[in-house]
Amino acid sequence: MFSNPTRSLLGAGRRLRVPLSARWQSTTPVQPSAPSPSPAQETKTTSPAESVPIPEANAAKSTSERMGALDNNARLPRSVQAVYLRPLRRKAEHGLPVCDLQLRSYSVENVEFFADFAIRAAYYLNLPVSGPVPLPRIVERWTVPRSNFVHKKSQENFERITLRRLIQIKDGNPQSVQAWLAFLRKHAFYGVGMKANVWEHESLDVGKAMDQSATEIQKTLEPHLAQFGQREDNSAGNNMFDVLDSDRFAERKSARA
Amino acid sequence: MSKMASMFRPKKLDLSGFVNTRLIRDHNKRNAVEQTEPERQALRYLIRNTSLPQRVRAQAQLQLSQMHAYTRPTQIKNRCVASGTARAVFRDFRINRFQFRMQALAGELPGVKKASW
Amino acid sequence: MSQPRILELVKTQCRIFSLNFNPQRLRLGNKILRQRLRGPALAAWYPKKDVSFRDLQNTYKPLGLTTFDEAEDDREEAIQIAKLRGKGRPKKKRTAAESKSAKKKK
Repeated sequence: MFSNPTRSLLGAGRRLRVPLSARWQSTTPVQPSAPSPSPAQETKTTSPAESVPIPEANAAKSTSERMGALDNNARLPRSVQAVYLRPLRRKAEHGLPVCDLQLRSYSVENVEFFADFAIRAAYYLNLPVSGPVPLPRIVERWTVPRSNFVHKKSQENFERITLRRLIQIKDGNPQSVQAWLAFLRKHAFYGVGMKANVWEHESLDVGKAMDQSATEIQKTLEPHLAQFGQREDNSAGNNMFDVLDSDRFAERKSARA
Repeated sequence: MSKMASMFRPKKLDLSGFVNTRLIRDHNKRNAVEQTEPERQALRYLIRNTSLPQRVRAQAQLQLSQMHAYTRPTQIKNRCVASGTARAVFRDFRINRFQFRMQALAGELPGVKKASW
Repeated sequence: MSQPRILELVKTQCRIFSLNFNPQRLRLGNKILRQRLRGPALAAWYPKKDVSFRDLQNTYKPLGLTTFDEAEDDREEAIQIAKLRGKGRPKKKRTAAESKSAKKKK
């Protein structure tokens, strides 16, 4: 299902309405053989339908005609048209990197498609994007004897190539970056792994803000940290034998035995 | 203290997939190591800490050596998940070299292909 | 800077960043406390138990629902056929005398 749009995107064809009409035709029962959305084939497939006077074909002709008329008169929404063009991009004002997203996959198509998708999503979230940068491939190879040790001379090689793409977001709003990442996770593509590094920038007087929030954090952490650390009188440290003999150690031992 | 290995055996088998006596034994050892790791590390710390009195360190040494063999991480051996074999197990796939070949040829390992260069 | 001053500096540094101040380089075994626990990673090597068909059967049987396990049915059918052909498994010997007589017959 996804392979068709992928190919048309990668091909970066400038044909706007042709593929859509071809797809509609392929759904009609009369013309099952219309796999590739090329304009030449479209004309070829429609002309015999006009000449043959079978009622089914007539019906098909009328639908195709109608679709053709619709094709000529109406235009697709701009956002749909943009799918057939190269992805739009926002311009970075300061060029300060905010988020690094690394996509990994074993297949080129998947990772290319998803990188394209991510860049388009970033455009609509008003995030300036650079990439996709093709990072070096990770090649892992294994050599395995085909059978027993005796036949060590006959071996087989296997490999796994991980393809990587880096997409960098520059000076975007941290919240919209989070929204972008969440959107990508929601629409995660099969066979594509994602890894994101997010950087947040603070104003110069971070210390003050941290000091202010420290008291609140301490309050929330108090129940968790109450049982943690050394006692103030340090009674346990003086008598290590007690710990070894009669503390939780012995308890666990007796429980297990 | 009893030195029975059975105390680390769960009442009900908590494994799926290929199962083998030796594999179950290794699994029990892994569980034992996980349970007793903080204790072992505490004892190890006492032993290494030269600022503690010698008697404490010696006693900790004794206790560590008296712990069950199954709680020793060196007892653990990586075994093939699909066949239980203990030799030529790839850490990436947790699979023996032969199982790896069969599964790779069957296309069950994502991304793994026959290589030629 | 003088030696005691540097020591003082290192001491405060250690206090602030909660490090161990150990100018004599004694072996305090702190590296063991710094190690992460490997247990959870080790224990996760083998695949954990998941839900099998038998579990489903066991949950649905008490509710009065019927389940069909085709593999199990096939197995039982094969056993029946083997029994009819006289190829079933021999009867379990319960006593020592029985097992002895079976050996003698041979």
